[in-house]
Amino acid sequence: MKHWTKIAAAAAATALIGSAAIAEGLFAPNLSYRTGPFAATGIPLMNGQKDYMAMLNARDGGIGGAPIDFAECETGYSTQKGVECYEKTKGEAIVTQPWSTGITLQVLPKTNVDNIPILAPGYGFSPMMDGKTFQWAFNTPSGYWDGADMIVQYLESQGDLSGKKIAFLHLDHPYGKEPIPIFEQLAAEKGFEFTPIPVGLKEMQNQSAQWLQIRRMRPDNVIMWGWGAMNAGAITEAVKTKYPMDQFIGVWWSGHDADLALVGDAGKGYKSISWSFPNLDAPVMADIKKHVVDAGLSDSNETEMNGVFYARGIIISAILSEGIAAAQAEYGTAEINAEQLRWGLENINMTEERIAELGLDGMVPPFSTSCANHTGHSGGWMLEWNGTGFDKVSDHMTPNVDGYRALAAEKAAEYATANAPWPTNDACDAES
Amino acid sequence: MLADIFINPFIEMFAYPDFLMQVLWEGLVSGILYALIALGFVLIFRSSRIFNFAQGIMVVFAALTLVGLHAFGIPAWISVILTLGVMFGLAVTIERVVLRPLVGQPDIILFMATIGITLFLIGFGETIFGGENKVMITSELGIPTGDTVLEPFGGLLILQHLDITVVVVATLLVGGLIAFLNYTSMGRAIRALGDDHQAALSVGISLQTIWVLVWFIAGIIALVTGIAWGARAGVSFALEVIAYKALPVLMLGGLESITGAIVGGLMIGMLEKLFEIYWGQPLLGGNTETWFAFVLALVVLLFRPQGLFGEKIIERV
Repeated sequence: MKHWTKIAAAAAATALIGSAAIAEGLFAPNLSYRTGPFAATGIPLMNGQKDYMAMLNARDGGIGGAPIDFAECETGYSTQKGVECYEKTKGEAIVTQPWSTGITLQVLPKTNVDNIPILAPGYGFSPMMDGKTFQWAFNTPSGYWDGADMIVQYLESQGDLSGKKIAFLHLDHPYGKEPIPIFEQLAAEKGFEFTPIPVGLKEMQNQSAQWLQIRRMRPDNVIMWGWGAMNAGAITEAVKTKYPMDQFIGVWWSGHDADLALVGDAGKGYKSISWSFPNLDAPVMADIKKHVVDAGLSDSNETEMNGVFYARGIIISAILSEGIAAAQAEYGTAEINAEQLRWGLENINMTEERIAELGLDGMVPPFSTSCANHTGHSGGWMLEWNGTGFDKVSDHMTPNVDGYRALAAEKAAEYATANAPWPTNDACDAES
Repeated sequence: MLADIFINPFIEMFAYPDFLMQVLWEGLVSGILYALIALGFVLIFRSSRIFNFAQGIMVVFAALTLVGLHAFGIPAWISVILTLGVMFGLAVTIERVVLRPLVGQPDIILFMATIGITLFLIGFGETIFGGENKVMITSELGIPTGDTVLEPFGGLLILQHLDITVVVVATLLVGGLIAFLNYTSMGRAIRALGDDHQAALSVGISLQTIWVLVWFIAGIIALVTGIAWGARAGVSFALEVIAYKALPVLMLGGLESITGAIVGGLMIGMLEKLFEIYWGQPLLGGNTETWFAFVLALVVLLFRPQGLFGEKIIERV
């Protein structure tokens, strides 16, 4: 009996502490993955996100005076666990950050009912750009179709694509298949031959069959939509099979320093489109060092902090914090709720001036969101591996959104019909 | 369509024999590695009737230990010896803490215990080593990383020195293992336990010693496999999924048979590669390696339920 009393008292105290922690700030859970086959690419991103929020908490007391409770729920990149994490955290959360296209697709219909914004920066379902249909979903600042379009633009800038062969090496997963419609559309428009080559989850580290196919096909370019161990597997196979690295381009999730470090100089010339870039001289890095690293609050290390993915984690948290700040200003309260954050994420205005004000100089291109535009279409830069790190090798590129706006609207309408009744935000009509 | 199935692939094989040789070589390398992992399963199953679900995570754990020790400044080959020590310690711990208390329990309980070992090693490994991808210390171990380019039939055949090393080392390891099992008293004891538990125990063979030994040998195999796979694309927890490729090898070759593991591994490695390149990619859009081995194993099981080299169990009722 005595034991039961103690257990009950401990449970009550824990519940009180837990609720007090959430009540004091804004609960912004992150469905992270620091374990499993995708941990290698997940860890630096999660560290960047966490350190930026920790820096805001330490330096400014949070955002607008409200501390951020940036709890992580581990998914291991498993869609099933991701949905469990969503259900577990949605009660108090002002946002959900699903961190996988598979999880995003699963929770997308739920968030429309639960009225919680999904923040999926640079991933998720590309037609989420249509804010009227996907009023609770944001894939700011760039979607996969933006990435696909910019890669094709870049290749076209190197020469006419008509009659060329392009192989598309992709993870056999919703994420990897996401840009296929836009590539097919662009292939038809520009006259290149487009061949998807899937890589199964169990084959990520043994891609010899895929690279034999590439050797047989002799493509002019290979575009990669890889993640986790697939990136390292592909890059090492490319080196092994002597595929010209300057004809090999990855999406932003396939441009991880640690993956390229495996091959070092042999990877020179490999490119990756990116909407973020590490700038070690940016003021935000000094603030993170002072308030987080030196205080022993960071899980990161120097090598990781110099890389592209850590910097991208920072940008992702900065996007969320800008959404929170915009909502706080609009509604005149620090303790905003999920619905108010939805408005905030719809009204981000990341100008060059604002980027500099946040200390993020050169780390993200300017962009803005609106009721109808939930992506922002920031564009990005082409990065190139120099043997030890990535360099920017292009000016700021922007996607030709008009080229696939109609396709996005069509896919969004299909989604809404398939998930009817699907409420839309007719207020966005005023924009179009 | 029929031509794409029955004629065109063979025409392509004859038209580009160098490419066919490359496909077969890549299949051979994969097959040897599958066989190695399968051997780890077979050894433990033969001596204890335990299907060791933890074989995959042992590959990761061994490779991470090696890389982790070297990161502390310990010379590469000393790190290998220390890693073997760690794997021996792991074998002793598993036998003492997990297996010994479960002696006499149904097989399924022991199988569940190995799932527990897997989950523990995942958590423990991630706590100690972190989840980041790490570079295998290939050159520090003296493993060559260049390649030899041949031009058979006027074509191109690239042989990675790493792959050649893997084939040679794996062959030596398998040969050594067979010699150990056939020509040493300990090896014969392992085989005796596999043949008849009660009879083996009655002549004084120590179950505990043999279990430690087979788990340690599985640990050595895990280390070699971890080095081979890790040298290809880094060392991370993604390596664990490689172990699942051994499952159809076991189905095909039989759970008790060392010969089955070797032949099954080589067959699956080469056939899945041939099928993917000449039929899977042109006709099915590729990625057939995910399921081909299982289908092949199932077809074999239809005709030989015990696998190609498994023992036919006859029970009197």
